[in-house]
Parts: sequence; structure tokens; C-alpha cells
Amino acid sequence: MKATVSRRARALNAYRIAQIVLGVLFAVFVVWRLYIVLFVEASYGPDTWVRLALSGLILGGVYALIAIGYTLVYGILFMINFAHGDIMMLGAFAGYFVFEALGAIKVPTSADPNLVFLNAHPIISVILAFLVGMTIASLSGFFLERIAYRPLRGAPRLVPLISAIGASIFLENAAQLLFGAQRRDFANPALLTRGVGWIIKIGGSDVIITYTGVFTFVLSILLMLGLYLLVQRTRMGRAMRAVAENKAVASMMGIDVDSVISRTFIISGALAGAAGVMWGIHNGLVYYFIGFIPGIKAFTAAVLGGIGSIPGAMVGGMFLGIVESVGPAALGIDYQLKDVIAFLILVLVLIFRPSGILGKVLSEEKV
Amino acid sequence: MKTSGNLFRCLRNGLQAGVVFGIIIIFLVLIGFDETAAQLIGKFLGNQGEATSSAMIYNLVILLGLLGLWTGAYAAKPVGKDTWGGVLIAGSGAGLVSGLMVAALAFILGTLNTAQVGLREYLAELSPDAIRLFLFGLSPLAGALAHVILFLGTAVLGSISARGIGRGAWRTKMGENWAQWTKPLSESALMKQIRSHPIMRYGIYGLILLFLIGMPQILGQYWNYTVGTVGIYVLLGLGLNIVVGMAGLLDLGYVAFFAIGAYTMALLTAPEPHHLVWSFWLALPLGVLLAALSGILLGIPVLRLRGDYLAIVTLGFGEIIRILSKSDLFTPLTAGPRGVRNVAGPTLFGHPFNNDVVFVYLIILAILLVIFVTIRLENSRAGRAWIAMREDETVAQAQGINTLRAKLLAFAIGAAFAGLGGALFASRNQFTGPEDHTLMVSINVLCLIIVGGMGSIPGVIAGAFVLKGLPEVLRELENYRILAFGALLVVMMIIRPEGLIPSRRRHLEISRGEDSLDHPEAGVPEHVPEPVQPDPGESRIP
Repeated sequence: MKATVSRRARALNAYRIAQIVLGVLFAVFVVWRLYIVLFVEASYGPDTWVRLALSGLILGGVYALIAIGYTLVYGILFMINFAHGDIMMLGAFAGYFVFEALGAIKVPTSADPNLVFLNAHPIISVILAFLVGMTIASLSGFFLERIAYRPLRGAPRLVPLISAIGASIFLENAAQLLFGAQRRDFANPALLTRGVGWIIKIGGSDVIITYTGVFTFVLSILLMLGLYLLVQRTRMGRAMRAVAENKAVASMMGIDVDSVISRTFIISGALAGAAGVMWGIHNGLVYYFIGFIPGIKAFTAAVLGGIGSIPGAMVGGMFLGIVESVGPAALGIDYQLKDVIAFLILVLVLIFRPSGILGKVLSEEKV
Repeated sequence: MKTSGNLFRCLRNGLQAGVVFGIIIIFLVLIGFDETAAQLIGKFLGNQGEATSSAMIYNLVILLGLLGLWTGAYAAKPVGKDTWGGVLIAGSGAGLVSGLMVAALAFILGTLNTAQVGLREYLAELSPDAIRLFLFGLSPLAGALAHVILFLGTAVLGSISARGIGRGAWRTKMGENWAQWTKPLSESALMKQIRSHPIMRYGIYGLILLFLIGMPQILGQYWNYTVGTVGIYVLLGLGLNIVVGMAGLLDLGYVAFFAIGAYTMALLTAPEPHHLVWSFWLALPLGVLLAALSGILLGIPVLRLRGDYLAIVTLGFGEIIRILSKSDLFTPLTAGPRGVRNVAGPTLFGHPFNNDVVFVYLIILAILLVIFVTIRLENSRAGRAWIAMREDETVAQAQGINTLRAKLLAFAIGAAFAGLGGALFASRNQFTGPEDHTLMVSINVLCLIIVGGMGSIPGVIAGAFVLKGLPEVLRELENYRILAFGALLVVMMIIRPEGLIPSRRRHLEISRGEDSLDHPEAGVPEHVPEPVQPDPGESRIP
């Protein structure tokens, strides 16, 4: 008896030692690469770093919006909504079609006979694109929960996850069959032309702060603020928090748990839809697969910040965006490998601190 | 008063069914499925034709008619006391609603098409020909009307016939009759003796063996290739079956081990990029070994993760392997996105033989070996430890099971099977590259073990044939295959989570777990440890 106990203890110790060794090796590698790139080679000027950090912030805002969706759903149902990235893709497509449609409506004026609605009323067009994108994405979230997740409530945890994977594959391929596999250019209003913006001088060279980037970043911050107020200040937010805390007790307090879950999916869908339209406006390409990689990265961000925690998802998203953007240059590795960095962070966080940066320490049960 | 309430409910059922089916049919039309399915029906009926020929219109009418029948049958749910009026109301309501929805689509598409709007730019499958076919070659208004009439008629017919036959009654009756006839026979002493006699068992094994030996000789090259692919997926499925089905570790990066096996085989035997031209027989065990080792290496850091976290980490790992094999960093090692060509086939006594028949034999041998190992493992100490761990890790640990070791063993063995599959795959195709190792492979394998039945060997084989073999037979449906996989995963989880041919143990568990599904109360705690008690059913079965 004693022998088995000590063997187990030894195995756990070995695991912990392996963890520490791995961590030290990783830290040494990072410091060494940083030293080489920053002090030995020093091939990038400050303007490059600013440029990378800016693009990281913008990317981080989008990741944060998607990550909030993962966190909200995980906080309530303890399941990874695998299809969340694809809901973002549907939002992006909805925004694309709105811009296409508005770009086809002609409103000729005496000055410009070829003026289209999109350029005549850019603000209305953008608002319309976001409204439609968010509505479509919320509806898909709502029906996704109704069809693929609700019948499985109370089943073993692997079952809804597999269902979610199936839903993700279905949505991706449905979009491919419906809209074709080609990449489409997102036709922005002239006001938000990509690559155009304010120019500032850093270290003697120009750094462009693009209008689309600023727009995306500001809007993502505003949406996050709105969500925070919704969750913290409203009756609905209180119900959501109560359900996340304990479903049984919440239902005894007279909260309709099913409707709260539906609303959670609607809210996270709306945020993902907004993220999708922003993705389209800023990056300029939509096709059926754009949701997959951002979805997984946003999940990484949610885990990084502490899954179940909304501020954690925001911080994690921003952090991941910046690391992904600055990381390859800072570590002096190929830009092709930026996805590897994101996945590596996910693995490392899960090994060393599964509760994330801001998460409460979960029991092993939840991890 | 009561009947009118019932009628109202019938109407509601009908309208609901109509909306649901209307949306489904509109979706199918938008993804161009109607045309493809009409072609397929034409192939079976022997009346194929041009895109908008009368033969195709005839096939399309058959397809839509069948869908309409289904709509009606679905709408005719039994409501309170059976009345024919209710059935008629439900059927006609469903038909009218779905017909009107489809007709509206037909009218809009037809009008746009006559106005020469290029719909294809936005909706990829809607070519002008497809739209003309969808309108039965008529004008928009007439086509829309035809749709309404068609759906109304078939839905009413469907609802009446559904009620006339009686929902599922014939099936129960047939089952009862069958049991009545066969019961005396199956329970007679003679049958029992025959069944348990070793000659019977070995006879069946012999027949299977004969079939396996004879089959590749008869099949042509194309079918041997297909059977080989299915066989490799059986190998992968059996491996993942150990990781997911037995040990309960959801691994979405399974393709990584497949890739490691394939790349080991390719890099060691191909003339490029390393000039290592080793023998096939040397590279094969090395590939298996390397895959198993990498399984352990992946296993160590993720040992403590459970469930969905494990799924995401393994998915990330699989993607890392693929991105690395494609990247410039590893191009000198793996030949980058171009892939490795001229991978060697097996040689025996100096004779190279790499035609498809030989590979089918090799793959069958590998499968038999893997099945043997799996069966031995399943009933061993390790297998029981896995199953205990899958049920409840904490309890398993409390029972004295070394879960760390059990997990590593599961990862290693699963990875070894995948490595074997990968090595054979690369050698048969004489090529391997990053595009052979996408996430879709992992998902395909996961699908096939879930559809077949987790933890069951016949289930895995059946799943591989259904998911990899069937699409080869129905080549027309190629585009819709992955879409159908996705839908199938969701549907299987909802109606039959234990799979087509479940293992007996799994079947018992899930049907017991369904009690909680019947009461989806909010009060059910998230993680209820199932009471560990001997199943009374287990002891009764001899």
C-alpha cells in the first residue's frame, strides 16, 4: 500500500519537475531570442515596433469580442461552443452582402452621376452592415443552441462538444456551397478605404494609423464596455451571472434558465457578428473559412484570460493579438509561424496556469 | 370544444412542419442539391439527360414529391384522438406552407433569371440552367404554382399514408413476428450447441478470411484503391477508438501521428530530399515507433487536462505539426508544401511489388493485427483501467489505477496505429505532403468512430465503410459529403449517441444516461458522478 502511494507521489513529482524544466527552457529561449533580436541584430527601428503593436491592438480587439462569446457560453454551460468562429464568419458574410447591395443602389447627384448609396451615406451604410451582421449572427447563435445543444443538456460532456464540432463543419461547408469557395473583396465605403489613414512620424519614417484600424479598435472597445454594463448593471445581466453561478439555485429564484441560455447565445452571437463585420472591413477578405482560425485563437484568448471571466477574455484577446503580431518579429522567427505561437501559448497556459490570467482557480474538475 | 382544440393543434403541427421543411428545401435548392440529387435519381432510374431535359424535370419532380411526402408524414403527428380531419388539416397546412415558401423562392429566382441578373456571382450553385430546372422549365409564375400544387398534393398524400400505415406499427409487428418465429429455433438446444461449437466459430473466421483473400483479386484497380483507403481509415479509426472510445480522451489532433508515420516512411525511403533510400520494411516499424513516441511526448504535457480542454490542445498540436511541415523553416527536412515524391513500396526478396492488390493485402493484414491487439488490450488490465478512467477519473484513481500511465499508454498505442496507417498511406500513394494531413482527416476519423459506435470494433469498420466507402459509390454527392458529415455528427449526438453498432457496455451506459435527458431540468448539476454499481442487466446475460 505504502509502495503504491510513494510511487504515485514520485510520478507527480516527476511531472512537476518536468513542468519546471520545460518552463525554464522556454523562458531561456524567449530571453535569448529577444536579446539577439533587440540588441545583437537590432534590425528593426522603433517605427516597425509601433506598426506591429498597432496591428496587434486591432487584431486583439476582434479576438476579444469573439473570446467574450466563448467565455459567456462556457461560464454558463461548461461547453466549448466550437461553432462560434463560424458564426463570426456568417456575420462577416452578412456585412459583405449589405455593402454589395448598397454599392449597387445608385443615387446620382449633379456633381457625381455615378454616386452610389454606399458612398453617399457611408455612416448609415456602416450602421446597417453592423445591424444586419449582428442580427444574422445572433439568429444563427440562437438556432444553433436550439437545434444542436439544447437537446443534449445533461448528456455527458463529450456529447455536446462533438455536436458543436459537427455544427461547425456544417456551417463552414454550407457557406462554401452557398457562396462558393472564392475569396471576396469586402467593398468598404470610400471613407473607410483600407490602408489609408493618419500619418505620424516615428524615428524618421512614416507610420500609417489606418481609419479602418481606429474604427475597428474603438468600436470593439465600445462594444466591450456595453457588454460589461449589460452584465453588471441590468436585470438580465444579473440573471446571467446567477445562472453561471448555480443553475439549480437560479431556477429556484424564479429565473427562466432556458431563456437566459438563449439570450447568452444571442448576445455572444451579436458580438461575434460585429467582430466578423469588423474583420471584413479591416482585413478586406471574406470566404467560408475565415471563422475557423480566429475562432480557435479567440478560444485561446479566453483560456489565457481565464475562461468564464469577461474581463479575462478582453485582456486575453488584447494580449494574444499583440503577441501574435509582435511575437514573430521579436523572437526573430518566420512570420509564417505566427499561428504556431498562438497555439503554443494555448498549450503553455493550459499546462502552467489552466485558470488563466484573471480566472479564479478552478478545481481540476472543470479543467 | 375538445375536437376543435385538437384540430387547432393539428393545424399548428402542420404549419410548423411546413416551415421547417420549407426552410430545409430552400436551403437544399440554394446549395444546388436538387440538381445533383435529380441526376442521381436519374442514374438509378436509367433516365439521365441534359441539364433541363424532360428526364431531369421528371427526376426532380420525384425528388420534391418524396420530400413533400415526408413533410406530410412528419406533420401528421398523433394528436389526442385520431381524426382524419386533423390529419388532413395537418397535411394540407404543411404542404401549403412549404409549397408557398418554395414557390416564393422559385418565383424570385425565376424573375431574376429572366431579368438576366448574374446570381452565380453571389450564390455559387445557382446557374441559369439550375434555376430553369427548378422551375420545371416553365415561366416563373407557372413554376411557382406548380410547386404549390406539387407540395400540397404530396403532403396530403404523405400525411394520410403515414396515419394509414400507423406510425411505426408495422415495424414493431414485424419485429414481434420475427422474434416469435425465431425464438424456439434460437433457444433450442441444438442451435445453442451449434453456435457455441468451435467448428462454427472457426468456420466463420475461415469464410471471412477466404472473402478477404479473394476480394482484391476480383475487384478492379479503382475499387482496390477505394478499399485500401477505407482500410487505412479503419486502421486510424481503431487507433482513435482506443484513445477516445476506451480511454475517453477526445483527441482532435490525431492526424499529427498519421503525418508522423507518413513522413517517416516518405523521408526514409524516397530519393528526395535526403537520399536515404531505405527499405520499406525498415521504415515501417520505425514510423510506428516514432508515432508512438510522439504520442507519449504529446501526452506528457496534457496529462492533467480533461475533456474539452484536451480536445483544443490536441487540435492545436495537430495544426502546429501541419504548419511546421509546410513552413520554410522545415522545408529542408520535409520538402515543404511540395511534399515528398517517389515514396518506396514494399519489396520482397528483391522484387518490388507495389500494385494495388498487394497493398490491399498489406492493409488487411495490418487491420487484422490491430484488431487482435485491440481485443487483447480491451480485456486486459490496461483496457479495464481505460474504461474505468473514461467513466470517472477520480473514482478510477481512488481504485488504485495509475491514470497517468494509463493515459500515456492509450496515447502511445493510438498513435502507433495511426503511424502504421500513415506509413502505409504514404507508401501506397508514393507521395505525402502537408495537404494529406489536414484537420479534416482527424474529423473524418472522429466521425467514423462516432457514427459506427465508440469503443466497438465492428462499429469502426462499419463507420469507415459508411463514411469513406459510400461517398465513393455516390460520386455525385462528393461536394455535399463534408456538409453531411457535420449534420450527421449533430444528428447522431441527438438521436443515437452510442453509434450504429455500439459496444454492449457503451450501449447500456448511454441508455441509462438518457434518464437525465428526459428531464432537462435546470436543476441537474453539471457533473453528476454516476453511481458506480453493478448493472443488474450484466449478470442476467449468460
